[in-house]
Parts: sequence; C-alpha cells; structure tokens
Amino acid sequence: MKDTKIVDARGLICPQPVVLAKQAIESNDRVVVIVDNDTALENIKRLGEKLSCDVRIEKKSNGTYEVHFIRKTSATPAKEGFAPSCGAAPAQSGPFVIVISADKMGRGNDELGHVLIKTFLHTIAAQTEKPDIMIFYNTGVKLALQESEVLDDLKELVAAGVVLLVCGTCLNYFEAKEQLGAGVVSNMYDIAGIMSKAGRLLIP
Amino acid sequence: MKEQPLYFVMLFKAVSYALKAEKILKQEGVSHKLIPIPKHISSDCGICLRFDPTIQSKIEAALLNKVEIEEIRPLGN
Repeated sequence: MKDTKIVDARGLICPQPVVLAKQAIESNDRVVVIVDNDTALENIKRLGEKLSCDVRIEKKSNGTYEVHFIRKTSATPAKEGFAPSCGAAPAQSGPFVIVISADKMGRGNDELGHVLIKTFLHTIAAQTEKPDIMIFYNTGVKLALQESEVLDDLKELVAAGVVLLVCGTCLNYFEAKEQLGAGVVSNMYDIAGIMSKAGRLLIP
Repeated sequence: MKEQPLYFVMLFKAVSYALKAEKILKQEGVSHKLIPIPKHISSDCGICLRFDPTIQSKIEAALLNKVEIEEIRPLGN
C-alpha cells in the first residue's frame, strides 16, 4: 500500500480544496486533507462519499480539520471523472434539476421579475412533480436566506426530499453565509457536475 | 399530508396593485404572501395576496384608499 498523501488546503478558496482533494484521492488510496473552514469540510466530505471512500474527520485544537480518506477496496475504482451524479436519484437518465440563477425571473423589469420568481418557487413547492435538485447561484442565493419570503416554500421542498444546493462563493460574496436559511452550501465542482449530468435542466 | 391552513386571498384589478399592496404591507410589517392566483379562481396568469383571515381588517386598513381591491375570498382548494 502506498503512503498516505497529505494535502494542505488551509487558506485556499473554494473550490480549490475540493479540486486538490479529488486529484489526490484519484491517485492515492489514503489521503489526508487539512482544511480550516466548514464549507471546505462539508464539500470534501461529500466528495469522499461520492468517490466511495471511508471518511473520518478529526477536529484539531487549532480550529482545523483533518479529513482522512481511505479508498474502499471493495468499491469499484472510480472511473475517470465523477461517477455518481449527486447522491440523489440514480443517474439512469439523470436528475431533474432546477437552477435558480437570480432572485428574479426573466429579464426586463426587476420588480416584476422578483414577484415572478417568488410565485414560481411557491408553485414548484405546491405541485406534485418536484425536482430532485435545485441549485441556487448569483443573486439566486438570496432566496435561500433566513429573511427570504419564500423560505417556507423552500423548506417544504426540502421536507419533500428535494436537495437544495447553494453556491458558497455567492454566499461569501454577499457576506450572507451565516444567514443561510435552507439548503446546503455547495461549490462549483458539484454545481457544474450536476448540471452536466441532469436529465432535465430547468432555468426559469 | 400535512393539513392546509385556511387562508384568504385578495384579488386586484392589475398586477401593479398587487405589487403596491405588497410594498405597503411589507413596510407596515403585516404578514402576507404573494402567490399565483389559483387556477380554480382564475385561469389568468395573475398574482394575488394570500393572508390569514384573522388579520383581514388589519390588511384592509393598511391598504385603504391606497390600493383598489377587487375581491376577497377564501383560498379554498
């Protein structure tokens, strides 16, 4: 067995830690990734699950985390690229994905557009055919904050099993990470991957 | 299935009135929600104001002489 590969991802900005971790896991059976923030920790944990690794997290006293990955020998080695789509539905035909790219729907009038996106989300939450995954980025992330007027709709979607992924870079840009009210912080790696593998992609 | 709370909806002659009503209620801190007009009420692509019937008078007072209200009715199913 090869030696353990250590990746020091402290101080790196999303999605750097995930990218480095992925590269390391693909060419080593044992990897330790050191991170210093919760977003990176969450993303790397999810990555490990996707790549069929045993993941063990050690919290260090200095506020950093050591994430230990051991590739499961029984698991089929990950093919080139990302095997599973997102952990939601099996990617036979790919998940149904809705992308909320702004806190408005359509172009032209912003006031109207903001009302439209709210009523859109309310309707999606109420209808029976729900998406598997919803992705929020750019000003779309504002809809997932605690003060959002559609928070109850989003919570309903989560309760119905819909996975809400909220762009961490965007939350960071708007300095709103602490105010996230629904969904999980995600990264471009997951977002691009899921969009690429979607069976249906809807962007209102 | 969770039980649907009972709501009333307020309909307006134009979308702009609904937006105006929302703005006023937001300022006054009265709880409400803009939703698409349910299909069983109208097939137009309109929006209406959903609210808890217990605060109807509060809402009407806030909008009095500012927004033209077309109709108030139970949301129903």
